Amino acid sequence: MKNRRKSKGLVFAILGILLAVIILVSLGAGQVEVPLTATLAVVVQQLGLPGFAGAELTPEQTAVVWHIRMPRTLVGLLVGAALGVSGAVMQGVFSNPLADPGIIGVSAGASLGAVIAVALGLTANGLYYMPLFALTGALLAVGLTVTLAMRDGKIPVMTLLLAGVAISMLLGAMTSGILTFMNEYRLREFLFWMVGGLDYRRWEHVFLAVGPVMIGVIILCFLARHLNILVLGEQEARSVGLPVVIFRLLLLFVSTVTTATAVCVSGSIGFVGLVVPHIIRLLIGPDHRVLLPACALAGGLFLVGCDTVGRLLIPPAEIRVGIMTALTGAPYFLYLLRRAQKGGGLS
Amino acid sequence: MTRANQYALVSEGVSVKIGERTIVHNCGFRVGRGEFVGIIGPNGAGKSTLLKSLRGMLPLASGQVSVFNHPIHSLGDKKAARLVAYMQQEVNVGFGFTALEVVLAGRYPYLKWWQNETEEDRHIAKKYMTFTGIEALADKPVNQVSGGERQRILLAKVLAQETPLIFLDEPTASLDLVYQEEIFRYCQTICKEGKSVLLIAHDIKLAAKFCSRLILLADGQIVADGIPRDVLTVDNLEKAYGLHSAVFLNKVTGNLDIHTYAAAGNTTSQSTVHIIGGGGSTGDIMRSLYERCYRLTAGVLQAGDTDADVATAFGIDFVAGQAFSTITDQQAQQHQRKIASADLVVLGNLCYGKQNVVNLKAAFFAPKLIVIEDTPIAERDFTGGEAAQLYRKLVQQQQVTVMTSMQFLAKIEKNGSAD
Repeated sequence: MKNRRKSKGLVFAILGILLAVIILVSLGAGQVEVPLTATLAVVVQQLGLPGFAGAELTPEQTAVVWHIRMPRTLVGLLVGAALGVSGAVMQGVFSNPLADPGIIGVSAGASLGAVIAVALGLTANGLYYMPLFALTGALLAVGLTVTLAMRDGKIPVMTLLLAGVAISMLLGAMTSGILTFMNEYRLREFLFWMVGGLDYRRWEHVFLAVGPVMIGVIILCFLARHLNILVLGEQEARSVGLPVVIFRLLLLFVSTVTTATAVCVSGSIGFVGLVVPHIIRLLIGPDHRVLLPACALAGGLFLVGCDTVGRLLIPPAEIRVGIMTALTGAPYFLYLLRRAQKGGGLS
Repeated sequence: MTRANQYALVSEGVSVKIGERTIVHNCGFRVGRGEFVGIIGPNGAGKSTLLKSLRGMLPLASGQVSVFNHPIHSLGDKKAARLVAYMQQEVNVGFGFTALEVVLAGRYPYLKWWQNETEEDRHIAKKYMTFTGIEALADKPVNQVSGGERQRILLAKVLAQETPLIFLDEPTASLDLVYQEEIFRYCQTICKEGKSVLLIAHDIKLAAKFCSRLILLADGQIVADGIPRDVLTVDNLEKAYGLHSAVFLNKVTGNLDIHTYAAAGNTTSQSTVHIIGGGGSTGDIMRSLYERCYRLTAGVLQAGDTDADVATAFGIDFVAGQAFSTITDQQAQQHQRKIASADLVVLGNLCYGKQNVVNLKAAFFAPKLIVIEDTPIAERDFTGGEAAQLYRKLVQQQQVTVMTSMQFLAKIEKNGSAD
C-alpha cells in the first residue's frame, strides 16, 4: 500500500514537472524563438505579478507569447484534460477498456452540428456559432442513443454501445450527405474542423471552453468513488446500494458535455481519450479518485506535447494536432490490442 | 419486540416472471436470525431468480418480501444495502482493482456521496479480509488471484457490508473441495454470531453437512423446506431432480449421504430376492440388485454390521439380530419364512460362527439358491467343522448353483436378471 501511494505521488510530481516544461517550450518555441527568460517575463507581466520588472521585451515577443501561443496552449490543456478524463469515465461506465467518448455518438453528433453550421454559412457571422451547433449536435446524439437503449429504467451496456454505433453511422451518413452539396470553400472549412487543430485559437476560445471543461472535470473527479463501484458491474453496484441508472446517466451527461465542449473549440481529436487513461492506469492503478486527476494532467500534457512537436517538426508548415495524436496513439492502441490477444484480455 | 420482528426475511407468495415465463411461483417462507439456509435444486429451478427477487433486484409478479419488517421494494437503495448483502454468481472485476479496493466497496452504503472511506472503514475491511484469510492479498489485483482467493475476496466484501442478512449465489461454484468447505465453514461461523445466511448450493451433500435448513426448489416452486434430514428424502430427490437415490447417515463421516444411480426396469414386475449376509459380505450384491429394482429382503443381519447398514440405507426389509449374540429362535423362524417366500435366495460368502450358523441352516428352505463362494468354506468355518459339513451338504442340493461374487455381479450386469 505504502509503496503504491508513494509511486502515486511520484507520478503526479513527474506529470506536474513535465507539464510545466512542455508549457514553457510550447510558449517559447516556434518560428519566432522567444528565450526562456523573456517567455517567463511576458507571462509574469501579463498576469500583473511582481518580478522580471527590468526585463526588456519587444512588442513582438509579447504579442507572440501572450496573444498567439498562450491561448493555443491553454486550449490544448483544456481539451486534453477534457478528453482524457471523459475517456477514463466512459471506460469505467461501460466497464470496457476500449470505450471512448466517440462510441456513444458524441463525435458524430458534433460533426453533424458543425457541418450544418458551415452549410448555413453561419461560421462567417460569429465565432460561437460552430461550437454551439457542435455542442447541440453532440448532446442530441447522445440523448437519442441513451433513449434508444433505455428500457424498463435500465440501460444495458451492450445495447447502449450498439445504439451508439448505429446512431453514429446514421449521423455520419447525414454529414456526408450535406457535404456533397457544399461548395469547395465550405468543404475546406469543414475539413479543417474535422481534422482537429489548435492553430488560430484565440482567448475567446479559452473563455468558451474553460467554464464547461473545468466544471465538468471537477464534477467527474467528485463522482470518482461512485465510478469505482459502478465499474464492478450493475448487479454489484446495486447490491451495495448505488442507484445505478442515475449515476450512469449523470456520468454520461457530464462527460458528454465536457467532451463536446472540447470538440467544439478544437475539432475532433482522436485517441487522447483512449490512450491516456490506459497509460495512466498502468502507472497508478484503476482507482478513479487518483486516475481522473492524473488523466486531466496527462491529457493536457499529451495534447500540448503533440501540438508543439507538430509545430516544430517541418517548419514553416504545421502538422495539425489531430493528426499527431492519431500518429502516436494508433500504434500504441494496436500494440495494446496485440498484447491483449496474447495475454487473453485487456485490463 | 413483536414476534414478527424476529424474522430476518419473510417471503410471502413470491412469484417472478421474466417476459411471459413464470420463473418463480408462489414461494413463501420465513428465515429467522442465525439460520443458515441452503437453497438447493436442479439447474433452471429458479434459485438465482428467487434470490435476486428477494434482494429486490427483480420486480415481483405477485407477493411480498420483507427484510426485518421492511418491504424490500420500498426500502431506499442504501438502507436495503445496510440490511442485506448479496454476492452474485459471477463478478467481473476488471481494470486491475486490488482486493482491498474491492472489499472497501462493501462500505459504500455507509458513506455519504461526497465522503471517502475513513480509517475505520479500512479497519473493518481489513478485519474481514483477515477472517477469510486474504489479508496478504490486499494490494494484489483481483484479476490476478486464483478462483478460491477471488471468492474469499468477494465474501470479505459482502461481510464488510456488515448486514444482518447475507445472500450468496453459488459462492462455491468451480472451486476445489477444500475451498468449498471453507466457504461453508465461514458461513457457519457468521450464523453463530446471529446473522442469517441464504446460500444457493450446487452440492447437496455439502449443503446438508453445513446448513441448518434446506429449501429444495424445483420448477420455481418449493418442494420441501426444513432441516436437511427431512428435506433430503428419496421421494423429494426424485420429485425435484428425477433422481433415483438412497439417503443414509454415513457412519464414517457422520453426515447425511446420498447414493444415486440410474434406474433400470420397473419395480413392480421384478421378482423378490432374499439375501443371507453378514460381516459385510453382501453389500455389493444388495446394491446391484437394489439398483435393478428387485424387491429385496435380507436376514439375519446383526446390528452394527455393515450389511445391516447397507440394508437400512436402501430400505430393505431385513431380519435384524442383536450384535455379538446368537440368533434367537424367533429371529430364525422369521428368517425362514422370508426365505421360503422369496423367488430366489442368495447366500453370501460369509464366515460362520456359533452365533450365525442358523443362517446356513435356513438356506435349506430356499426354493432356488445361489451360493456365493469366493473363499473355501474351510477358511470361513469357526464352528469347529459343523458349518463346513452343513455347507457341503447344502451345495449338493438340486436347487443350488455355486458361483463367485464376481460371476454373480457380472451375470446381473449382463442379463439384467438374477435368475
